[in-house]
Amino acid sequence: MNAHDTSFHGRMDDGIEPGKALLHVDNISLSFGGVKAITDVSFDVLKGEVRAIIGPNGAGKTSMLNVINGFYHPQEGSITFRGEKRAKMKPYQAASSGISRTFQNVALFHGMSTLDNIMAGRTLKMNKNFFWQMWRYGPALQEEIEHRKVVEEIIEFLEIETIRKEPVGTLPYGLQKRVELGRALAAEPDLLLLDEPMAGMNLEEKEDMSRFIIEVNQQYGTTIALIEHDMGVVMDLADRVMVLDYGKKIGDGLPEEVQANQDVIDAYLGVSH
Amino acid sequence: MFYREAGQYKATYEADSAKFPIFQDKLFIWAYLAIGFIAVPFFGNEFFLGAIMIPFLVFTLAAIGLNILTGFTGQISLGTGAFMGVGAYACYKMTLAYPDVNILIFIFASGIFSAIVGMFFGLPSLRIKGFYLVVTTLAAQFFLEWAFIRIPWLYNYNDSGAIEVPQREAFGIIVTGASASAEVRYIICLAVVVIMTWFASNIISGRIGRSWMMIRDMDIAAELMGVRPLYAKLSAFAVSSFYCGVAGALMVFMWLGAAEVESFDYNHSFEVLFMVILGGLGSLLGCFLGAAVIWILPVMIRDWLPPIVDAITPFTINSSQADLVSDIIIGVMIVVFLIMEPLGLARLWAIIKQKLRVWPFPY
Ligand SMILES: Nc1ncnc2c1ncn2[C@@H]1O[C@H](COP(=O)(O)OP(=O)(O)OP(=O)(O)O)[C@@H](O)[C@H]1O
Ligand SMILES: [Mg+2]
Repeated sequence: MNAHDTSFHGRMDDGIEPGKALLHVDNISLSFGGVKAITDVSFDVLKGEVRAIIGPNGAGKTSMLNVINGFYHPQEGSITFRGEKRAKMKPYQAASSGISRTFQNVALFHGMSTLDNIMAGRTLKMNKNFFWQMWRYGPALQEEIEHRKVVEEIIEFLEIETIRKEPVGTLPYGLQKRVELGRALAAEPDLLLLDEPMAGMNLEEKEDMSRFIIEVNQQYGTTIALIEHDMGVVMDLADRVMVLDYGKKIGDGLPEEVQANQDVIDAYLGVSH
Repeated sequence: MFYREAGQYKATYEADSAKFPIFQDKLFIWAYLAIGFIAVPFFGNEFFLGAIMIPFLVFTLAAIGLNILTGFTGQISLGTGAFMGVGAYACYKMTLAYPDVNILIFIFASGIFSAIVGMFFGLPSLRIKGFYLVVTTLAAQFFLEWAFIRIPWLYNYNDSGAIEVPQREAFGIIVTGASASAEVRYIICLAVVVIMTWFASNIISGRIGRSWMMIRDMDIAAELMGVRPLYAKLSAFAVSSFYCGVAGALMVFMWLGAAEVESFDYNHSFEVLFMVILGGLGSLLGCFLGAAVIWILPVMIRDWLPPIVDAITPFTINSSQADLVSDIIIGVMIVVFLIMEPLGLARLWAIIKQKLRVWPFPY
């Protein structure tokens, strides 16, 4: 039990003090053929904060998350996570170093139940080998049950007990988003990336989701970077906001500051450049 | 009415994640095992055991192998026949080299050879998907068929080009060769299939099985949750081919008694694939159902249809015409299932069970 503490606490002990930078993004440029998705963007995410990334459609927000967790490899710039500088990183490495995320278009495992989807989030924490699993006995069974308990805590936290055994493909969109959050939480990340967690939700669902995000951040101290279009939500949730437009950073600061920034207002109103 | 979970509360997660959560399910499993191990060999005659039940079990095992790869991991393969062949030739060579070793050990060991070969041919799956992977596995099929002909060492330089199963004993009983009884061969096949089905279901419900399904459903998200595609895909190829290899060894040693390259050709690859599709992608139960329908239905039609046609119509048909009838029926079933119920007979069975659970009050 000591080597593997399996109660849900949402983050690893990484030796970084709250308020210090957990993630540094330095001078990132990313292009696809001729399309420049990101141009020379730098920002940081402090441990324990909720950091919002906003910007009009096509601004490069999702691309930025993809760079952070290793799906895209930027042509220039570097990422420093938990004090370690990474040039090129595979998604698997990002995951094992403590980054977890949700996707703009829900990317659940559609053939699996809610329970299995969230169990899937525990993959990196499980290690019993093939031969134990074959018998589903001893350490393998032990491990399965321990992780099931953690998953049940998450299910309870997200109030999705009733859909535990449902195949996720049949769930309404709002619930799918919630299950996806559960799956990301199950990895107990240091840094949780949320790509438009409230897109397509009604007001009530948005309120629930906001509540979950705040609780994850405050109760478990998980650092969160989220992309969101709903400015009301951003103002409520975020400690600091970074604004992208056409792949460039045009604003960064406290929510009020960003809201008052003329460049940001222009970008959102579509003033020509 | 009698099949329901009312009053059966699960107190622990262990109980909740058990394979057969409903008491009646457990009862059924024990009943099936009793029928399989006791009633069938007791009442079944030589033909029933040797020509229906043993091949059914062999194909079930091969279907489980293919289903692990295709149904659970999403990698389509047309190399099943050849992977079965690798197991059969490996078993043959091993038992010729060491005649005194218990043949059952070699039957399992032959799976290791096909697992290695399967993994090798699974390497392209790391780069390519879908249709192109199908083509690669078909290439593996043809390459291995070629090897089975061109490497005479594999069939011990027999003039016939065939492997002939020698007589072998296990635990003092003759289990292979012409004088092995159908009962003994059937019991061995059944025991192997039961044990390996149980292993498969354990693996599928644990971390490794989940990582296969994660790759199948959404490989990008799987990688992000820490699944390494290399490990997941190659382990699926290895386990899948292991099952096919053991099925191939059983096919030759417990059923056919002799085999040449035709026994492992691409027709078998397709046959097993149809079993998986018809039975249900991603379902172990489906492997049994698919193998039953595709193997047993034609045998029944061949035996029963001609006399029935004779009796009630002015026409007569022979057994090869009856085979055409079963080909048509199975063909139509596969098409219908692909369109209407991709999850196959197993899904249909689940629906019926669901109905039974609420019967007789549907609401
Ligand atoms: N894989 C890719 N190949 C080619 N171009 C891409 C790729 N991914 C993103 N882009 C381009 O990069 C730019 C930024 O896209 P991105 O998805 O990051 O925007 P976004 O800010 O997330 O927008 P939205 O609010 O619509 O989600 C767009 O012009 C997009 O077409
Ligand atoms: Mg986006």
